[in-house]
Amino acid sequence: MMQCSDARPRLEAHLDNELDEAERAALDDHIASCADCAPEALALERLRDDIRASASAYRAPAALRSQIRAALRRDASGAPAIARGPGWLAVAASIMIAVALGSGGTWLISGDRQRDAIADEVIDSHLRSLLAEHLTDVASSDKHTVKPWFGGRTELSPPGINLAAEGFPLVGGRLDLIDGKPVPALVYRAGKHIINVFVLPAGHGDHPETVHRQGYTLRHWNEGDLGYWAVSDASPDEFSRFEHAFRAAAS
Amino acid sequence: MNWIAQRRRQSRFEQVALPHLDAAYSLARWLTRNDADASDVVQEAYLRAFRYFDSYREGDAKSWLLRIVRRTCYSWLARNRPTELIALDAIDDPTGVNAAGSAQANMGDTETLLMNRSDLRRLDELIEALPPPLREVIVLRELQELGYREIADVTGVPIGTVMSRLHRARTALRRGWDGENIE
Repeated sequence: MMQCSDARPRLEAHLDNELDEAERAALDDHIASCADCAPEALALERLRDDIRASASAYRAPAALRSQIRAALRRDASGAPAIARGPGWLAVAASIMIAVALGSGGTWLISGDRQRDAIADEVIDSHLRSLLAEHLTDVASSDKHTVKPWFGGRTELSPPGINLAAEGFPLVGGRLDLIDGKPVPALVYRAGKHIINVFVLPAGHGDHPETVHRQGYTLRHWNEGDLGYWAVSDASPDEFSRFEHAFRAAAS
Repeated sequence: MNWIAQRRRQSRFEQVALPHLDAAYSLARWLTRNDADASDVVQEAYLRAFRYFDSYREGDAKSWLLRIVRRTCYSWLARNRPTELIALDAIDDPTGVNAAGSAQANMGDTETLLMNRSDLRRLDELIEALPPPLREVIVLRELQELGYREIADVTGVPIGTVMSRLHRARTALRRGWDGENIE
């Protein structure tokens, strides 16, 4: 039979589930029959239960995750973003378009889950580019500068389109990771709004569709072997005008 | 490193480290005792972890990350609240006059708190009144529910030291808490 002198130093290890089965059984027997150790074990248990029930279980604030991702992105790029918008960036609403090329089989996910996951990632990348003030990696309104910049950085080649005449000047280009792959993004302005155009491999047989999420409208369509995704908090009219202009120029 | 590889590296890092964001924040919040400071420290710790990411091998990501968060917290405390950092020798010396003195001073604080408080924050305040090396073992054990081996890993001390710090922390808490409840 275990003595109190052996039992006492083990009470906390018992409470913490750190004893092996034999020790635990011997200690349980002792506690059950000892008028000194039983209340001590009970008091330890009560303290643990009280701490778990009423001490604060702090959780990270919602904004911290995106702040960290933005900071990591700045850190990973090793240098400040090439282009910093003037004040318009702060007030900018946004449209993001992702263009998808047809080679869905090589991507990690497929079907509806792929669409949902890409929609999430596209919105996430968009928010990150604004939060991190990392809008472009190459800042130029010249499609002959932006399009070649992507060469060698990604297998995907975005169409070089400047829609300045239609009211959507090209701001520059950026590379983002979607579904673990480098994907080009073209960045446009629409008045005070920002437009990002991404190029991804397309899913299979997607019909044009619209998704509303996190206060953004996401628009997705295919054209030829390109699929387009658009996210916007701009007005439906402006959104639609941009889509028409982009599709007309891309076809 | 070309920067496509850097983006991939960031993506891998986020998959390893971001699932433990709440645990990281909780530890930092308990050690800094302040929301804004905890956020700053956690962000700094994630950047550090990202830079050390190449040295991370498949394994216990939570312990790896919490170890860096804890180190960042202690650097922060050293810069901003040096008086809170009692020499670790004093904490772990069971017969040390210094340890007895600090524990006494701390219990003085908690008794004052208890006289004036009967709200739900009481237990929080008792825990916050513990010196950081005792506070963190209670937080890691009771709130993060880590085992001795993991706590030793995170805090960088032997398991025996983890056990004695837990015992000292619990003894101090019970003096404040049981006394209050019995009355």
